Amino acid sequence: MLVKIKRQKDAESAPYWQTFSVDADPDMTVSALLDRLNYTDDLYDAEGVAAPRIRWECSCSQKMCGACAMVINGIPKLACAAFLRDEKGDVLTLEPLSKFPVVADLIVDRSIISENLQKAQAYLGTYRPLRKKDFEQMYAAAKCLKCGLCLEVCPNYSKGEHFFGALFANEAALLALQSKDRAKPLREAYDKHFAAGCSKALSCVGVCPMEIDTLASMARMNRSGK
Amino acid sequence: MKRVLIIGSGISGLTCAVETAMAGNCAVLVSPYPSERAQSVMAAGGINAVVPNGDNGDSIDLHVRETLDGGCRIAGERTVTGLCTDAPHILTWLEGLGVVFTRNADGSLARRAFGGQSRKRTAYAGASTGKQIVTALVQEARKWECAGRITRRLGLQFHSALIEDGVCSGALFYDETAKRLEPLYADAVVFATGGQNRLFGKTTGSALCDGYAAGQLFLQGAKLKNLEFIQYHPTTIETPQKRMLITEGARGDGGRLYYMENGRRVYFMEEKYGEKGNLMPRDIVSKCIYDAPSQVYLDIAFLGEQKIKENLREVYDLCREYLGLDVTKESIPVAPSVHFFMGGLAVDIKHRTNICNLYAVGECASIYHGANRLGGNSLLAAVYSGRVAARDIAQVSPTPSHANFESYIREQNEKLSARTATKSRFSAVYIQNDLAKIMNEDLGIVRTEEKLHDGIQNLQFYLSIVEKLKYDSEISPYQAYSLRPMLCLGLAVLTCAAERRETRGAHIRTDFPQRADNMATCTLIDYNNGAFDVTYRNEDELCW
Ligand SMILES: Cc1cc2nc3c(=O)[nH]c(=O)nc-3n(C[C@H](O)[C@H](O)[C@H](O)COP(=O)(O)OP(=O)(O)OC[C@H]3O[C@@H](n4cnc5c(N)ncnc54)[C@H](O)[C@@H]3O)c2cc1C
Ligand code: FES
Repeated sequence: MLVKIKRQKDAESAPYWQTFSVDADPDMTVSALLDRLNYTDDLYDAEGVAAPRIRWECSCSQKMCGACAMVINGIPKLACAAFLRDEKGDVLTLEPLSKFPVVADLIVDRSIISENLQKAQAYLGTYRPLRKKDFEQMYAAAKCLKCGLCLEVCPNYSKGEHFFGALFANEAALLALQSKDRAKPLREAYDKHFAAGCSKALSCVGVCPMEIDTLASMARMNRSGK
Repeated sequence: MKRVLIIGSGISGLTCAVETAMAGNCAVLVSPYPSERAQSVMAAGGINAVVPNGDNGDSIDLHVRETLDGGCRIAGERTVTGLCTDAPHILTWLEGLGVVFTRNADGSLARRAFGGQSRKRTAYAGASTGKQIVTALVQEARKWECAGRITRRLGLQFHSALIEDGVCSGALFYDETAKRLEPLYADAVVFATGGQNRLFGKTTGSALCDGYAAGQLFLQGAKLKNLEFIQYHPTTIETPQKRMLITEGARGDGGRLYYMENGRRVYFMEEKYGEKGNLMPRDIVSKCIYDAPSQVYLDIAFLGEQKIKENLREVYDLCREYLGLDVTKESIPVAPSVHFFMGGLAVDIKHRTNICNLYAVGECASIYHGANRLGGNSLLAAVYSGRVAARDIAQVSPTPSHANFESYIREQNEKLSARTATKSRFSAVYIQNDLAKIMNEDLGIVRTEEKLHDGIQNLQFYLSIVEKLKYDSEISPYQAYSLRPMLCLGLAVLTCAAERRETRGAHIRTDFPQRADNMATCTLIDYNNGAFDVTYRNEDELCW
């Protein structure tokens, strides 16, 4: 199959497209396909021109760490959980996430995510045990990969200057429910950095690889303010 | 106030940073990517600790004994006692940080038995214990970041330690965005860089754990320990991208191993070891699976859909997505695969290496697990070791150093520029692939002197040419400069394996099939001007 990749040597250089031809099996994921290209002794593009290795971020290769988030055929996804059998068309297109600065090829700098969580002072304070009925949802919220797919897909998120996106709403809810003494400042940060900017497009809900129920987190935070 | 440089931000690095801040010191926490990408998030099954009113009269003594037995009697009794004694406090501490551990209907902590344990001693948080712990620790670290006691540095990859006259004063990092080396100085440096997965190509764990730091520090004078002991997880599945792990929790909850013979299931572990056979320590289960005459399967279907979806949801999802297999109806085809490294940087009971001011914690340190780690003990060791190192640093005065590293840093920067400027087409990936192939083929579960020496010779050849070769600049600079230290680490592993002329723990030496009493001790390996010197020491006696 043909794989068309948006490439960029480093943060300063201009992006360009390069197409590769690769033997692929429908049950492979995009990450397996990238490995197949990169682990050949010598890499050539579809025209037979020697090509540099494709840089992409990978850690767990099994949907547990969020490293491999990228745009696959126009849709933000995790490469290690995107199966070729589910992709349409003859050419597979891979691009880096567009809302973060490119480091190289498909690798982007997502440090804004942790910087914003720090800016919003998203921490626990004194622990208050969870109520049983909250357990399931909070367990799910704690699984957030901080992969940035929810930010990529959100029409209201651009550079994270004021609006911090769905991942922040979930983090705030997880912390507020477990905190004895910090529910108020967390709620204020939530209002400022999430509620004020969210137009309820809800594209974040469908894109989350952990299927975190952001709507439920929003409901909790809204209730906690009353 | 001391400045502590911590390299690696998985569970051990995070814990060390938090404890450093709590002790009134400042931590600089460095990793190329955030903690959410660290291998720690992959730990599924649980963390061991004896809690009050534990299962069936469980005790800390029993935890100690089973850890020592599981490790084939070469771990230190004193070190393991420290680990197990602190475990209940660690569990309480983690809960206080907001880790959502699974609870029984009566509100008590739910526990399961992992392999090699006679009691249910493993606490878990659904099927994502490691991830839940990382989330809570990241939030706790953030509190200290807000207070200015922890500084996070992302985008930096370790290059080398700044060591002179046996004293470490900091480390040098490659910054991919700035494209240069950056020194960070500190009163103490803690390595928390995880296992050596990349040496073997793809394993069950994270690609970020490559063993480079251990290899580089070895070349800079740090002693390594027990490198030959590699854990093969008995139950992994083959997928197009890697071998994935089926948690031991599946057997802890009742899962049974079998193979087919003449149309009937042979539950070989139960036949050989009785009712609890499926939960023997990993070394024993892996060897039995290796010896089985045909494909081995793990059956959990009989547990029922509800229990599977409640307790083993990740197993259900993993098999459905990556194998197209419904574990509530079918058995899972499994085989052993490289999973955990008992070996690593040699440390004493305070997690000090043999170099002053240099510590190692978590999986990159070799301690507690002997020749075979019990499941659930490594998350415990990651938290425990981070705390121990931070507390020791807080208590002792750092050895002073007046070394000047400017010319060393200039030299290294020039070397790096020359490497990235090369137009050579010789592929470094070729050597990397071959290294993984050698490690997998010559150092499997079953080993012989002949094979090990083949591997040693091949790696010696690569080492003799690797510095002279001009290889391609198209891989990342980190990948390029990590090649030689990783080849050295591979050679050190093979050397230790060749020297251990007995069968112990995870491996079988067909030429020395018995356990040898005179080898009930730990292996240390040293780099002396190109020579690899192997010696043996008792773990409890290690102090520098
Ligand atoms: C699939 C799986 C399941 C597991 N399940 C369990 C379980 O149920 N129970 C249990 O007790 N154990 C389990 N383990 C083992 C356990 O996860 C690890 O031993 C433990 O998490 C190691 O933590 P760590 O902090 O030492 O290292 P890691 O979490 O691996 O973190 C290493 C850190 O070092 C950084 N790093 C690496 N190289 C460099 C470099 N050159 N420069 C800068 N930074 C670097 C990485 O980016 C990362 O931040 C499991 C392991 C796997 C793979
Ligand atoms: S590599 Fe971890 S989610 Fe894809």
